[in-house]
Amino acid sequence: MKKGYSGGSALPADKRAQLTRGTDDALNAQARARTGVRAAQTGRRIVQNVWWPMVSIVVALALLISAVVVAYARTGDGSHGVSGASGAGAHSHISIGLQLAPTNLDIRQTSGTALDQLLIGNVYEALLTRNEDNTVSPGLAQSWEVSADRLTYTFHLNAGMTFSNGDTLDASDVVWSIRSMMEGHLQGSNGVANFASVSAPDARTVVLKLSKPYSELLWNLSGRSGLVFDEQALSGADGSGADASGADGSGADRSGSAYDAKTQALGSGPYVLSAYEPGVSATLTARTKYWGEQALNRRAHIQTITVRYFADPQAGLNAFTSGDVQVLAPISGTLTGAIQNDARFTYKTGDGTDKYVLAFNNATGGGSAADGTAGVLKDKRVRQAIRYAIDENAIIASRGGTDAPLGGPIPSLDPGYEDLTGLYPTDVEKARTLLAEAGYSTSHPLRLRLMYANTYPAEIGQQLRSQLARVGIDLNVQRVEFATWLSTVYKQRDFDISMVDHNESHDFAQWANPEYYYGYDNADVQKLYAQAMEAVTDSERDSLLARAARLVSEDAAADWIMNYRVVTAWDKRVRGFPLTMNQVNMPLWNVTFGTESAGAAGSSVQGGAQTARAAGADTATAAAQGGVR
Amino acid sequence: MILRSLIRRWDGLLPLIFVVLWALVGLVSLLWTPYALTDTDGYSVWAAPSAAHVLGTDGAGADIATWLMAGSATEFAIVVAVIALTAVLGVGGVALSVAHSARVRSVSVLVIDALISIPTVVIALILAAPAGASVLAVILACSIVYALNLMRVVRPAAAAAARSQYVVYARYKGVSEWRIFVQHILPQVMPSVIITVSHSAATAILAESGLTYLGIGVPAHVASWGQSLATAARFVTLHPATAIWPGLLITVAVIALNILGDAVRECADPLTNPLLRGDRTQEVKN
Repeated sequence: MKKGYSGGSALPADKRAQLTRGTDDALNAQARARTGVRAAQTGRRIVQNVWWPMVSIVVALALLISAVVVAYARTGDGSHGVSGASGAGAHSHISIGLQLAPTNLDIRQTSGTALDQLLIGNVYEALLTRNEDNTVSPGLAQSWEVSADRLTYTFHLNAGMTFSNGDTLDASDVVWSIRSMMEGHLQGSNGVANFASVSAPDARTVVLKLSKPYSELLWNLSGRSGLVFDEQALSGADGSGADASGADGSGADRSGSAYDAKTQALGSGPYVLSAYEPGVSATLTARTKYWGEQALNRRAHIQTITVRYFADPQAGLNAFTSGDVQVLAPISGTLTGAIQNDARFTYKTGDGTDKYVLAFNNATGGGSAADGTAGVLKDKRVRQAIRYAIDENAIIASRGGTDAPLGGPIPSLDPGYEDLTGLYPTDVEKARTLLAEAGYSTSHPLRLRLMYANTYPAEIGQQLRSQLARVGIDLNVQRVEFATWLSTVYKQRDFDISMVDHNESHDFAQWANPEYYYGYDNADVQKLYAQAMEAVTDSERDSLLARAARLVSEDAAADWIMNYRVVTAWDKRVRGFPLTMNQVNMPLWNVTFGTESAGAAGSSVQGGAQTARAAGADTATAAAQGGVR
Repeated sequence: MILRSLIRRWDGLLPLIFVVLWALVGLVSLLWTPYALTDTDGYSVWAAPSAAHVLGTDGAGADIATWLMAGSATEFAIVVAVIALTAVLGVGGVALSVAHSARVRSVSVLVIDALISIPTVVIALILAAPAGASVLAVILACSIVYALNLMRVVRPAAAAAARSQYVVYARYKGVSEWRIFVQHILPQVMPSVIITVSHSAATAILAESGLTYLGIGVPAHVASWGQSLATAARFVTLHPATAIWPGLLITVAVIALNILGDAVRECADPLTNPLLRGDRTQEVKN
């Protein structure tokens, strides 16, 4: 590089101009003049050289600081603003911010609770209604009887039920929905275990027969298994079909083709799906003639509801604080600090069945052949050590303390719940001892991989890595796209440890199914589970499930990091938004925004016609409804 | 000689001091940090700066200063590797694109023009897909993109030099193509190579932050400034102070590298550096 440069074509224009004036001698002469007199022209250049970096640094700092100030101002100034409009009447439109968007709307083909959340109870209806406390009450069926041998279920349907396109909903639709679901092995079909037959003796009666008792049937029929679809509209079989966005009740707007279940939805619920933008939003519009207004005393209070999806929690919070959405569910426990002192908003934690399961690969035992640890997780001491090493309470505290500790596979809202957090309390010494027995220590650590989807925060992985490092496990945390997790862990079973939020309710079957990705094969658990499913009474079922859950937890088949609880934030003028389990079950007909006629705002949560609700339930929602005014 | 003239000027000395400090902190972090990288305390998350945690703690309860120190080492390694790889790949590409053989020349120009349209993020995604996010993927993605950029910027000047009389003469004298490039063409284009490479170094820091934020940069257990920024960014409205430090470091590092690049170019160029000219006249006299 010390070699001189000759030729000028590679140089900037000003240098080339200098060059035309002469040679190095000329330049040297100029330089001498510069050092001697420091001519005004060259002097300015030096000053520029000194100052422009300084100036740019100062400008950059100023920009950064002003950005922070603006950010503070945005979160801090909440006490005034929109709430000034308290005198305004009821709004006919509301926007709701959610996080996980469904990939498409085909609820019969596509799994994922985002679909249940959006459509069930709003657009589609099931035979039974699922309440906020996870019990069931009448839905399309106004009553039902179960035979003494628990094999025959007789449902009596409401009269005068219609789909939003005007088609009648009667027993034949129910029979077709269940039968096609079972024959096609569609979503929900495994909720009707031991299925024998379904028939319709008359237009308002459905008889469902089982080959063996199945104690979860009624609950399942309040979810996907019990959804009733319009056969004509779905298949376009009768040639008339229907327009999904539907001219409600009029029957005039028939398009003559089947609706596209991936982008449209047509059901019997209080709302019709009027617009859907995958991954972005869905718009629900109230039906003008909803059959349930009399039969179920349900009426959509708000004319249009826009559901918007914010994958980024911060974006969701911004939309909420700026008034773009009036409800945000979930809001992370940490972010609630941003709205804590804002008089416009309030938030509350609702119970749920989300289980953050740190699943061990029970089938292969994980590990790697390369360092001789293949199958290491088959060693119960190692699994137990991991459970003792993890400080779940620290993780919960770091997230804002809204989640609940969970010691086993069954959360508090599900049958068979028992507090198992005492089985493996945090005990670093015990973990070290157990690992030492298995041959590992901090100086000779056991290397394990943890793979989880990047929809869950990085902090959990960092904390697990930190907590396990203390006892002698070198945890390699891989945070990947959900699709990668799905193919690597769920399908190929190529993992040591996986973490995922299993938010389904009544899902203990996972632990009785060795084919599931946990690969957990325990004959005692399977036997207890089978007995529970054939139990005659609910209490018998619950105690059998509790015993099975205890076995799974004692065996350290996984670690349950927490029972994630959804925090919902809402504008104080909003009432009636469900708080419990609202990521799975979010009926919106009772939601109001702003003042409304006193009767409607004060109506009970799930409708007056229902009698099956447990007294004292839904206190959370009552509080939500109580609101301010 | 270049270094001596560099430290004589403000815009050489200041960024140089920063870079040296940065390297030192990185080195120290390999031996000592206030806490271990894996230390977290769930009960004191987002803690304000205190005697125990000079810059506070992040959302997992880890010490921010520790992660930033360890991040300096990663960042420095990335920058050095990107500079080296970009220079080697880029200059190699330039050599091909001004080669004597017309076929090699036109094919390489075509390939460069085609590849330059691929953004860094896409290359990083392609590299990160099979093996997962890694520091190596970041380095490779940045180097490939910046090398292509360098080829594009430097090629016209190199082509002009390749057409000059003394190259024709050297070739006539039977000097090998490689020597012609190294001895006659490369020195001509060195100033723009330096500028482009230093710009790449600065951009690599930004790219690392961006890629890490997207989850295709450095893996979660590796400290880097981008990692710290990405962790803090999610809760920036609640805990802005935690985002300031990595943000500040990144900003200052980028500015410093850009200024330093400019200064090095001017110091290494005899047209603007009298010291080098003095050298050369002496050489000529001898």
